[in-house]
Amino acid sequence: MAGLQLVGVEKTFGEVQILRGLDLEVEEGELLVVLGPSGSGKSTTLRIAAGLEEPSAGTVHIGGRDVTHVPASRRNVAMVFQSFALFPHFDAARNIGFGLSARGVKRDDVDRRVQAAAELVGVGDLLHRRPHELSGGERQGVALARALAREPEVFLLDEPLSNLDAQLRTRTRAELKRLHGELGRTMVYVTHDQVEALTLGDRIAVLERGLAAQVGTPDDVYRRPADRFVASFVGSPTMNFLPPDAAARFGLGGDGEIGVRPEHVRLGEGEVEGEVVIVEPAGSEAFVHVDAGGPWLVARVQPEELPEVGRRVRIGIRPGDAHRFDAEGKRITGHQ
Amino acid sequence: MSERRGLALLLAPYLLGLTVLIALPALVTFGLALFEYDLITSPEWAGLANFRELWGDDIFRRSIRNSLMFIAAAVPLRLLGALLLALLLHRQFRGVSAYRTAAYLPTVIPDVAFALLMLWVFNPLYGPLNIALDAAGAPTPQWLTDPHDARWAIVLMSLFQIGEGFIVALAVRQSLPGDLYELAEIEGAHAGYLFARVTLPLMAPALLLLLFRDTIFSFQANFVPALLIFDGGPPPYATTYLPLFVYTNAFEYLRYGYAATATLVMFGITAAIVLAQWRILRRWRVASSAA
Repeated sequence: MAGLQLVGVEKTFGEVQILRGLDLEVEEGELLVVLGPSGSGKSTTLRIAAGLEEPSAGTVHIGGRDVTHVPASRRNVAMVFQSFALFPHFDAARNIGFGLSARGVKRDDVDRRVQAAAELVGVGDLLHRRPHELSGGERQGVALARALAREPEVFLLDEPLSNLDAQLRTRTRAELKRLHGELGRTMVYVTHDQVEALTLGDRIAVLERGLAAQVGTPDDVYRRPADRFVASFVGSPTMNFLPPDAAARFGLGGDGEIGVRPEHVRLGEGEVEGEVVIVEPAGSEAFVHVDAGGPWLVARVQPEELPEVGRRVRIGIRPGDAHRFDAEGKRITGHQ
Repeated sequence: MSERRGLALLLAPYLLGLTVLIALPALVTFGLALFEYDLITSPEWAGLANFRELWGDDIFRRSIRNSLMFIAAAVPLRLLGALLLALLLHRQFRGVSAYRTAAYLPTVIPDVAFALLMLWVFNPLYGPLNIALDAAGAPTPQWLTDPHDARWAIVLMSLFQIGEGFIVALAVRQSLPGDLYELAEIEGAHAGYLFARVTLPLMAPALLLLLFRDTIFSFQANFVPALLIFDGGPPPYATTYLPLFVYTNAFEYLRYGYAATATLVMFGITAAIVLAQWRILRRWRVASSAA
């Protein structure tokens, strides 16, 4: 088992700089989620860690060893691809045992380790099926079992749930969390899905244009976002932002922009009045869009508290719930 | 106009050509094989006499043997050449388009021009091939006069015209998902293992199609060089292949019935070879997928 460090990693493709001096440290046994929008460099980060790309500058370390120029095959990492990358002409057993067979492990050992890995992810009964005979979730299981079978030091997972339907995604997410708890292996998990990031990660690294905007626990990233980008990217619906003049009406005067999460926009409190313009029931919760004579605010409410469209409501924001950002977008003070 | 009607209209010229130029002559060939016909006098019923004569015709037997030897040598080499070129040129690198064009270009050169060019290449006195072989200290075959060397000259010529097979193999190689190869790289599969276990099996269906197509094609491909460069020789009939035998009987000896009979036999041999290949390879594929 080993940790993973990226130090000052840069990557340029032609004229385009994807990574701009990224520093990232994954502790031994930790599950770090790399979260970011398209083009932020999260997949490139993973590919550099895997050895599929060489960094333009900076170094990569696994278990304290500098592997920057070590080929992928000798880094002792395993990768789960978004597409699962299953060989269509092999059955599940041969897919799972591919790396072991390629490295010349004896047939008996391959069979034993394939069976053990398959049992661990619940695909032990499907070993003789080919990929086209498996469901999306089962394919994902086979791809995961293949990563496990070789017992690598570091697991690299590139959006492994994005090809699954919503229900299966939720179930597999929980399964992955259980698996990580059971194995205690170092894992780097790339996703653009903040729910996956918040539910799975021991820590989250939020990437913005090739740099880590924030690295912290899910609680840190959600409650104490380092800057406006993290605050706006993490959380759904996104944080409400009020310019200083609009914030002053809520008793939040001062320099800088104010950010407030939808669950902290309180209907029926305060002095400011607004008109309900949209209501969005979402099962166990609901979202209300209110036009308060400036920017629209989104409030998260209980479904039974849902007001009608067109009704005027009072809106309040408690000072302790607000985040204040300076002119550069850095968070100055805010909700703890 | 309905879509169906529109499609039918678009298909019509091709269907017309197919019927008039392929299907009808093929049907006529079946009938003609039972007649003696010289284009001047009326066709004369011959029954199975043409088949009996063919059975005892030594030149026909030689042409079958020549054709089978050509297929046995040329088809695997042509397929291998197309595959190797596709594997070499499927990646993007500086100048790759020029290399791909160069690989395809000999295929679009008209057969006659290509044959005349190769006549110069194979010339024993001033041909560049023998000059190069001589400079390298290698033996210099008598391409145009020795029966054995002449057969290899025709095989060698056919190896330059593999553009179509190359394009198909290239397209198939490029369609293989890149992440399979990236995964194999991480999993530690070396190039030989990757080729044998991944690339070749995944390309196999297309390569099999190419094999069948090339077998059929090769029966006819050597007609122009055999006629223009060697005129069926050097003696004794070293490059008289089946198409040349048919041509000579039809257009030189005006024996259309006899030529039609030889054509039917050629068709039968082609079908038998393709069927045998299909059966063997199907068994191989079943065995390899079960392993």
